[in-house]
Amino acid sequence: MRYLILSMMVVFMFVGCSSQPTTEMNDAKAAVDAVIAEGAEKYAQVDAQKLNDDLAAAMAEITTQEGKMMKNYSKAKEALVKVKADADTLKAGLPAKKEEAKQSAITSQTDAKTAIDDAKALLAKAPKGKGSKADIEAMKADLKGLDESLPEVQKLIDTEDYSAAIEKANAIKEKAAGVSDQINQAMEKVGAKAEVKK
Amino acid sequence: MADDQARNLWRAGVSEYLPVEYNKYTADLKTAKDDIAKEADRFVLFRDYKPYIQRFKDILVLGNEILVKVEIEKAKKADSLSEQISSFKTIISNLQKFTLKINEGRLARADLMKADLLLNEVELRYKKGEYAAAEAKIDDLSMYLKSAEDSLSPIIGRYSDRSQVEKWQKWAEDTVAESREKGIIVIVVNKSKRTLSIYRDGELMKKYSVGIGRNGSFDKIHAGDNATPEGKYKITKKLPASRYYKALLINYPSDQDRKQFILAKKKGLVPNKAGIGGLIEIHGGGSDTMTFGCISMENRQMDEIYNMVKVGTPVTIVGAVHLENSISSALGGK
Repeated sequence: MRYLILSMMVVFMFVGCSSQPTTEMNDAKAAVDAVIAEGAEKYAQVDAQKLNDDLAAAMAEITTQEGKMMKNYSKAKEALVKVKADADTLKAGLPAKKEEAKQSAITSQTDAKTAIDDAKALLAKAPKGKGSKADIEAMKADLKGLDESLPEVQKLIDTEDYSAAIEKANAIKEKAAGVSDQINQAMEKVGAKAEVKK
Repeated sequence: MADDQARNLWRAGVSEYLPVEYNKYTADLKTAKDDIAKEADRFVLFRDYKPYIQRFKDILVLGNEILVKVEIEKAKKADSLSEQISSFKTIISNLQKFTLKINEGRLARADLMKADLLLNEVELRYKKGEYAAAEAKIDDLSMYLKSAEDSLSPIIGRYSDRSQVEKWQKWAEDTVAESREKGIIVIVVNKSKRTLSIYRDGELMKKYSVGIGRNGSFDKIHAGDNATPEGKYKITKKLPASRYYKALLINYPSDQDRKQFILAKKKGLVPNKAGIGGLIEIHGGGSDTMTFGCISMENRQMDEIYNMVKVGTPVTIVGAVHLENSISSALGGK
């Protein structure tokens, strides 16, 4: 009888330790899926990636234990609980991250508009030197193209695609700065010529 | 494991690249999961999971095959996108350079800028592996590029048209021949080269850079079109003091121009109140300017030709004299 009880305890212990942490697995996966669905990959790319990696590591640990005679899922269970907690934390902080991304997009949009306005103002003062008339017309048209692209940034902000909005705004800003550089170079040239003439 | 694989397949974008295979995979997985759940509901002694092990193994094999396929598809898409990006870069660069060679270039620059911005976005998405998003942007990019090309194609078309160029060539040759035969000075203006050449006794004496109309690559049809006329003209008046330094008035519109104007009017190509225009001159004011249709030169060069020519001196204005001209060959690298 004593042996029977002992052997039952051993069997119970092994069964207890050898069953996969299904609940934790499901909870962790559901929590990660929920935070991804909320847009974590858009607004908290690094955190989302870390969550995915942690979940994958926990699942890999389960696979490792599955192949063992003496299975021990305690480490995987612990990791899964942590993944769920991290996912929940990230989900709770996502509105703030989203707002942060939105504000960055709005700042980039403003910067792009300022860069266009600066280039326009500079163009109005551009030197009317040799070969400049056609160049000025070309630059005016370039700025028109940039100006007409700005509403697309607003559209991206409206659809909450803030990273795309930032990319577009930055590209516009860069091109507008390029136009300003060209005008400045032309102004420097004219300035240098005027110096020589004196 | 199957759940993890399904997640990986979804993350790899299989539903987008291989939707049929992905739907079959997810359907198989769902059925297997439903069936195994039913099995689990049976009394413990009657449960038999062996058939399910094989089913799940088959699903995993299918999933792995799909993953391999999708990687191949992605690589193909990446190659195709890379080629397209490179091609669009060349096209945009060539068009941008071309637009700086003609006064009408401004008409295409805004669209080219928009196309350039989109190309930038396509590249960013390509680098991130977001191929479908990159392809979607390419459609918009192509639209702007087409619009830019449409603005320039009437010009490129004229300067690539063999019969048009041969006509210009003949006018120029006839004018030089007249100079040789009569022993007189003649002027030939080449719009694509932006040059004014002076011939005496059929020999080239001098060549100057000139400016032409704001829409100077086109032939003048009516007042206000800012185009520079093409044809065989003569100097009708020498103006020692004009608005633009000295000027040489030519006899635009000629009879040929009048016929052309009437024809264009019939075709509805002339605004209602527009006349045929006039007062086309070779004048000073600088060779870099964009005129209303006249030919402009540097003042000191204007002094030179003003003293060389007289009323009646032939002035022939052509677009180009070679089929391979700076406009027709501008997009050669495209």
